[in-house]
Amino acid sequence: MFHWLEKNPFFFAVGVFLTIAFAGAVTILPNFAQSAQPIKGLKPYTVLQLAGRGVYIKDNCLSCHSQLIRPFKAETDRYGQYSLSGEYAYDRPFLWGSRRIGPDLHRVGNYRTPDWHANHMWEPTSVVPGSVMPAYKHQFTNIADVETAYAEAVTVKTAFNVPYGDDIKPGRAAFDAYYKAKVLPAALKIAKQMKNKDLIAQVQAGKIPEVVALVAYLDRLK
Amino acid sequence: MNSFIVKGLAFAVILMIATIVVVQKMHIDLSDPINWITILGALAIAGLSFGVSAKYLAQMQNDTASGELAEENWDGIGEYKNELPAGWAYSFLGVMIWGLWYFFLGYPLNAFSQIGQYNEEVNAYNAKFEAVHKNADAATLKDMGESIFLVQCAPCHGETGDGLSGKAEDFTKGRTKATVLNIIKNGQNALGAFPGGMPPGMASGAAAEKAAEYVASGCKGKAPAEFGVCAGCHGATGAGTPNVAPSLKGYDVKTALAKGKTGAIGMMPSFANRFTPVQEKALDSYVNSLKQ
Repeated sequence: MFHWLEKNPFFFAVGVFLTIAFAGAVTILPNFAQSAQPIKGLKPYTVLQLAGRGVYIKDNCLSCHSQLIRPFKAETDRYGQYSLSGEYAYDRPFLWGSRRIGPDLHRVGNYRTPDWHANHMWEPTSVVPGSVMPAYKHQFTNIADVETAYAEAVTVKTAFNVPYGDDIKPGRAAFDAYYKAKVLPAALKIAKQMKNKDLIAQVQAGKIPEVVALVAYLDRLK
Repeated sequence: MNSFIVKGLAFAVILMIATIVVVQKMHIDLSDPINWITILGALAIAGLSFGVSAKYLAQMQNDTASGELAEENWDGIGEYKNELPAGWAYSFLGVMIWGLWYFFLGYPLNAFSQIGQYNEEVNAYNAKFEAVHKNADAATLKDMGESIFLVQCAPCHGETGDGLSGKAEDFTKGRTKATVLNIIKNGQNALGAFPGGMPPGMASGAAAEKAAEYVASGCKGKAPAEFGVCAGCHGATGAGTPNVAPSLKGYDVKTALAKGKTGAIGMMPSFANRFTPVQEKALDSYVNSLKQ
């Protein structure tokens, strides 16, 4: 067999490739597979949080905020426990970011409250003097795109087996029922914590302002 | 001397001259010995390149092969019987021994781990920090507390600790009479650290007013008789009783950091495990020094 391989350089090259590829696969892939698993206790984003993630992406928060705490003392002192790869298992796409004009947000839910976010998104300098972050007042009137978030949940549930409940299923009727039963109450809870009468009134009228969804998402980052 | 050596020598000389020209053009500071070392290195490389290539090229032109031929030949190409070079053999043995060490001892023991390095660094730093500041004086603690406060607490409590007009507790005013009256009326278990918490309506009317005034003053002076109902749990001087009720003098920063707080103003998240004991002490002393 080896004599034959020596006479056929093409198949010899194929054999070399297969051998090295196999060695690479058995040494690299198990580690990949292990670190890509969701960490214990990680729950997928709720539909409201996904809508907030949409706002985060749309308003391009990640061009100034990272979501990745590196294992350095200076970072863990300020932002908390360093990030683990399994924490991003349900992030599609991940929002690590690469610049820190603002602080890291990967654990912002641990040390900021919805009330604080409400003040901060309306006028950042009211709570952080000297902040260079622009105000995001339009988020208080724009309505969050919950339908797309729901569609995203349905898609990742079907395509990647993300563990959502049985109430996430395709169809307009299913969405309407889910919106009333799950999304609105969660939004109302956040709006009440944000202590903004206008936001509460909007949610009670059945509309979720972008900032409520965004804060629901930020509050989930722990 | 054949033409090849002449050309090679000329090339090496050109390289050397080029080096010297570059050094002069770039105004390189020759008082720094590192620049001399670099220049000498460049000249040496030019000389050695010429020397080594000249040697091997001459060998290719002039050398003839000799020695005992091995019996086998491959398509008419034979091979001399050569001794195994000693340097190669020793290196090979050395690599084998190193490989055994690396497989069975070196790799599992000395494998680099980013998290391991982080843990070592943090533990070493914290131990040193605690040792240095074990007996820190009041001024140091207050300074340390202020710098931590500005990073971790100021976003909600304000840079001066004024609570940003009602968004969080105003440390500069301390507990006001109104706050204390509110607690007496509605009860309190904001810290969640004390079993049961404080039931609502422990006092009312003028009695509550008197007790509230005393608490808002920071429990200074002689306690009025109306404080008696509070003293049952908070102690005769309002200093608190372990596991029963918190101190009424100043703020219980340590418990608030560990447990977070939910009260009339809103919710403060827990900051458990974010600070070392000395840092907690520093924050405590700073926050309690803010009252004007």
